[in-house]
Amino acid sequence: MNQLEKILIIDDEIQIRRLLEITLSASGYKIFEASTAKDGCVLAASLSPSVIILDLGLPDADGLDVLVKLREWYTHPIIILSVRNSEEDIVRALDNGANDYLTKPFRTGELLARIRAANRKTEGEQEAILVFGNLKIDLARHLVLVKDEIVKLTSTEFSLLALLAKNEDRVLTHSFILKEVWGHHYADQPQYLRVFVAQLRRKIEENPSKPKYLITESGIGYRFRGE
Amino acid sequence: MKRQFSSPWYEYLIVVLIVVVSTMICYFISDLVGYRVLSFVLLFVVSILAFIYGTGPVLLASSLSALIWNFFFIPPHYTLHISNTEDLLMFVMFFIVALLNGVLTSQVRHRESIIKQREERTQALYQLTKSLLEESDVDELKKMIVSGIRKYFHIDSFVFLLEDINAVALKKDDNIAFIPPNEIDAMIDCFNKSESGGRFFSLYKNNRYSYYPMTGSHMKTGMIVLQHQNKFTDDEMQFWEAYLSQISGRFEREMLNSIAQKAFILDESDKLYKTLFNSISHEFRIPVTTILGATDTLMSEEYSVEIQQQLLAEINIASIRLNQLIENLLNISRLESGHLTLRTNWYDFHDLIDKVTNTLKQELQHYNLIVNIPDDLPMIKIDFGLIEQAMHNLLLNITQYVPQNTDILIDVQLSEDVLKIKLIDQGPGFSPDNIAHVFDKFYRGKSAKTGGTGLGLSIVKGFIEAHKGQVIAYNHPSRGAVFEIEIPVEISNINYIEKLS
Repeated sequence: MNQLEKILIIDDEIQIRRLLEITLSASGYKIFEASTAKDGCVLAASLSPSVIILDLGLPDADGLDVLVKLREWYTHPIIILSVRNSEEDIVRALDNGANDYLTKPFRTGELLARIRAANRKTEGEQEAILVFGNLKIDLARHLVLVKDEIVKLTSTEFSLLALLAKNEDRVLTHSFILKEVWGHHYADQPQYLRVFVAQLRRKIEENPSKPKYLITESGIGYRFRGE
Repeated sequence: MKRQFSSPWYEYLIVVLIVVVSTMICYFISDLVGYRVLSFVLLFVVSILAFIYGTGPVLLASSLSALIWNFFFIPPHYTLHISNTEDLLMFVMFFIVALLNGVLTSQVRHRESIIKQREERTQALYQLTKSLLEESDVDELKKMIVSGIRKYFHIDSFVFLLEDINAVALKKDDNIAFIPPNEIDAMIDCFNKSESGGRFFSLYKNNRYSYYPMTGSHMKTGMIVLQHQNKFTDDEMQFWEAYLSQISGRFEREMLNSIAQKAFILDESDKLYKTLFNSISHEFRIPVTTILGATDTLMSEEYSVEIQQQLLAEINIASIRLNQLIENLLNISRLESGHLTLRTNWYDFHDLIDKVTNTLKQELQHYNLIVNIPDDLPMIKIDFGLIEQAMHNLLLNITQYVPQNTDILIDVQLSEDVLKIKLIDQGPGFSPDNIAHVFDKFYRGKSAKTGGTGLGLSIVKGFIEAHKGQVIAYNHPSRGAVFEIEIPVEISNINYIEKLS
């Protein structure tokens, strides 16, 4: 790990920037701030930070446009900040290359977890066997074990679980999952996905109605929670 | 009685022609019958004419036929001279009888037509009153009035209500392209002056249309524009005024109604905002005071870690409360705005309950929560956000009234295509006087903990009703309160994985 990872915050609210600076600095990150989209893009280019936190509601540009522009060259994680009740914006941002999102008001602990999760993917290679408490997923042999017992999954169920688990702690949108697992034809059929997730939960969760691993992000998608 | 002589010129021509033709016929039969008989024939013709034509033509016909009879048939022929005293008497009498006959008949006819017209007008006014009362849609009313004026006055017309005039004055209305702008300006001016104007009036007399203000007993309600070619006779004017006053009265009532309604709505929302402001400002102050106080203390002196932690916990609670408050305010304004649109999609109800109980983890930690949802509950189509908020508010409400270390049961069932959700607690239940008000805005039960605006349950009701469902509250026969929700839902057919994989 680098000594001091750089994080760029693009948000027009000074109080949010101050809060993030204090919290994230305390967690060992080096923080840079921009209050406008223009400054943000300039700083991103000159600093090349390892994570960008981008507010969707910026005064001088649509946050989504900023995201698209950044994604033309910026390959590290971008985490979106947004207000509640704007699932459509969030989904659009996620489908346009954002790695994760948080709605205001958010918990700083949650933000730190998201930053870590977003970084994880870019840091190391995937293991062949993923272990999350009682759940073991053997990616090479297509095997899933709960409490060391083999659980029978259909191939679609396995692909779905593997996709989510490989992206541990990251939110994946409905359309992304559908495209990855079923192909483009199903991209607008979140119903199918929900049925499969429900079925998967029954097989791998201890209490399917209080899932530990497969977390619903209502209106957006699913997140696999490892801990 | 001007009307008696107002027969058109062609009627005079026709009676002259008829008299001439009758004379010719008489001339041919004059050899067969005596000339005195011919006088009866001519009298007969005049009498017939009196039934058809006005007084003027009949007078002409009787004079003409008297002269013709004298000139052609009374000997000596082809002179106006009458030698025989008897014939002279006959001629004078013929003349008088023809005149009387013609005048009297046409007068009788005229009276009859006046009576008939009056009857028609009474009928027209009656019809108008009746249909004005029956029709409630303003646009339909306008159409009806235009067609009524066409029927009874044979005139094309346009009806402009106050709002139309305002729209026209602001040049916002595109539907008036058929009336030239100068006419519109004149109409607006007449409306402002509350005077009739346009053609046949001193005001704007060179314009093509006439404008009549609709004036009720309290207010002006609009204008009627008439496109008439002839000036109204006194008679017609009277009828028109009666007609107009009926219409004005009707629109006035309509306007007074809508004003009263608006006043009521304003009054209601005024009340709402006053209550909202009073209760909200109070509600905001408490957590803000907590945060300010706690942060002041934290900044001013060194305290033990334990006290610091306690103060931070207080700040945390206050912030959550503030957030809750904002959420409720946003929701109530969504409901109050009147155009809450559902964004429905397919959801698993397990997810919803899971999410709600997760968000309320802290509040629920001292209760024994029992969730009872059938495993095979199919996907249902709902607005996740709204139902989530409704369930959230209900559960939060329960934690405010119900003592800790008791059971809270969430029971979800689907029967046919109605989703039934029951929340049962083991608290004190509702008191008889508040059970009817639990869903009222700003109503707060007497045993409520401090905090809360009394908006939570009214939001529940609003969101459930937005789903065409209903929510009721009652006391459990043994102990505690029950909230029961029923929402008609669409059920997904895609529920069996086997078919898909």
